[in-house]
Amino acid sequence: MNVVPPALARLIDDLARLPGIGRKTATRLALHILRRPAAEAHELANDLANLHETISLCSNCFAFSESDPCAICGDPGRDGALICVVEGPADLMAIEKVASFKGRYHILHGVLSPMDGVGPAEIRVDALLKRVRMQGVEEVLIATSSTVPGEATAAYLAGRLQGLPVAVSRLACGIPMGMDIKYADELTLSRAIESRKPAA
Amino acid sequence: MKSGRTPAVVIGVRSYGESDKIVIFYSRKRGRLSGIAKGAHRSMKRFVNKLELFSHLEILYTESRSSSLVRIDQAELTDPFPLIRANYARFAAASLVSELIFHWTRENDPDPRIFKLLLWTLTSLENLKQPPAWTAILFNIKLLTLLGYKPALTGCAECTSLAPGSGPYLFSPGRNGLLCRGCATPADSAAPEAGPELPFSLRTARLLQKAQELPLGKLDRLRFSPAATKEALAILKIYGNSLLQREISSWDFIVR
Repeated sequence: MNVVPPALARLIDDLARLPGIGRKTATRLALHILRRPAAEAHELANDLANLHETISLCSNCFAFSESDPCAICGDPGRDGALICVVEGPADLMAIEKVASFKGRYHILHGVLSPMDGVGPAEIRVDALLKRVRMQGVEEVLIATSSTVPGEATAAYLAGRLQGLPVAVSRLACGIPMGMDIKYADELTLSRAIESRKPAA
Repeated sequence: MKSGRTPAVVIGVRSYGESDKIVIFYSRKRGRLSGIAKGAHRSMKRFVNKLELFSHLEILYTESRSSSLVRIDQAELTDPFPLIRANYARFAAASLVSELIFHWTRENDPDPRIFKLLLWTLTSLENLKQPPAWTAILFNIKLLTLLGYKPALTGCAECTSLAPGSGPYLFSPGRNGLLCRGCATPADSAAPEAGPELPFSLRTARLLQKAQELPLGKLDRLRFSPAATKEALAILKIYGNSLLQREISSWDFIVR
C-alpha cells in the first residue's frame, strides 16, 4: 500500500535530485513545505518557475544576471582594467562578500578536467582573451582554486595570456588565518615561504 | 572493523555532500581502492592539501562491514608532484594515466608492478625527462604489457612476415597488432567493430617493441619523432578503447 500521496512523492523525488540531498532530507523538506501556509509554497514555486525566465548569463563576464550586462559589468565605479577570473558563480559571490575587490569578473563555469571531457574549448578561455584584447584590460587576476585542476587551469590561462600586453597575477597561497603552523602540509608551507612579504 | 595502511596514489576525487570527499586510489597493497574522507573539505589538520589528484600518499583506512568504500582516517603526503599541475600538457597526460588505471584495474586486485609503473610515470611527468606525450605512450605500452594485452609488433599478426616489401603496414585493434599488406584486406578483417585499421610504420612499431622490452629505468633513452608520436598515440588510443569497449575522455586532450 502506498502511504505517501503521489504529489508529495513527486516533490520528494524532485528534491532528492538536488546536490547533497538524499531521500531522508528530501522527505523532511517536503513535509516542512506541506506544513507551512500554502502562500509560502506558492511563492517558492513561483520563484523556481521564474528562475530560468528571468536569469541569463551576462554576455561580458558570464555571471548569472537579470540584466545584460550584469550589475557589476554595468557599474561605472568598477575598474574595467582589472579582471578576476573565477571558476563559477559561487566563487564570485565569495570574493564579493569580502568587498575588497573593485574590478570586474570573468566566469569560466568550470575548470580543465580531461577525465570529465572538459578541455579549453569547454571553459570560456577565448572570450577572456577577446576581452583582454578589446577592453583595455591591464591586469588579469586568476582566482581559480588551489586544487590540482584549478592550478592546471591557472597555468593554462597564464600560458595563453603570455605575450599579450597585460599583467597576470594569481591569488596568494599559504597558511590560512587561524591555522596552527605545525599542522600545515609541506606544499602549503613551502608556497607560504616562497610568497613571504615584508612584515612592516 | 579491520584497519590497514598502504602507499597509494590518488587517481580520482569528488565532493560528497557539503564537507566529505570520495577519493579513488591505486594502492600498492589493495589495488584500486575507494574511500570516503569525512570532513575533508573543512579539515585543517588531517587532509588539507593531501587528497589531491596524483598525490602519492601513505593512507590509513578502516574497512566497512557493509560497503566496499573504506573510511580514510589519515593521509601522509609522500610526494604531491607539484609540477604536474603547473603545466597543462603534463596535467593532461597524468589525467589520462589516472583514467586508464581506473578503468583497467579492479578493487582488491593489487599488482605492485602497476603501482611501480604509476609512480614511474608521475615522476617522469614531474621531472619532465621527456615530453608528456612520450611518457603517456610509454605508460600505455607498459600497462598493456603488464595486463597481458601486449600488441603483436614483431611481425604481422596473421602471417608473422616482416619482410621488406610486405608493407605498408596497418595496425589492427581487432587482431591485436601489426598487419602486412597481404593480410590487411577488408575481406578478412577479423573484427571491424573493434575499430578502424590504421597505417603503421615499421619504425614506430620497432620503437614500441623496444619500449615493451626495456626496463622502466631505461625508457627515457627512447626518442619519438613528431610523426611517430602522432602514430603511436592514435594506435594506442584505438587499441585501448577497443579492448575496454569504451571511450577514454582524456585521450582527446593529450598535447602532441
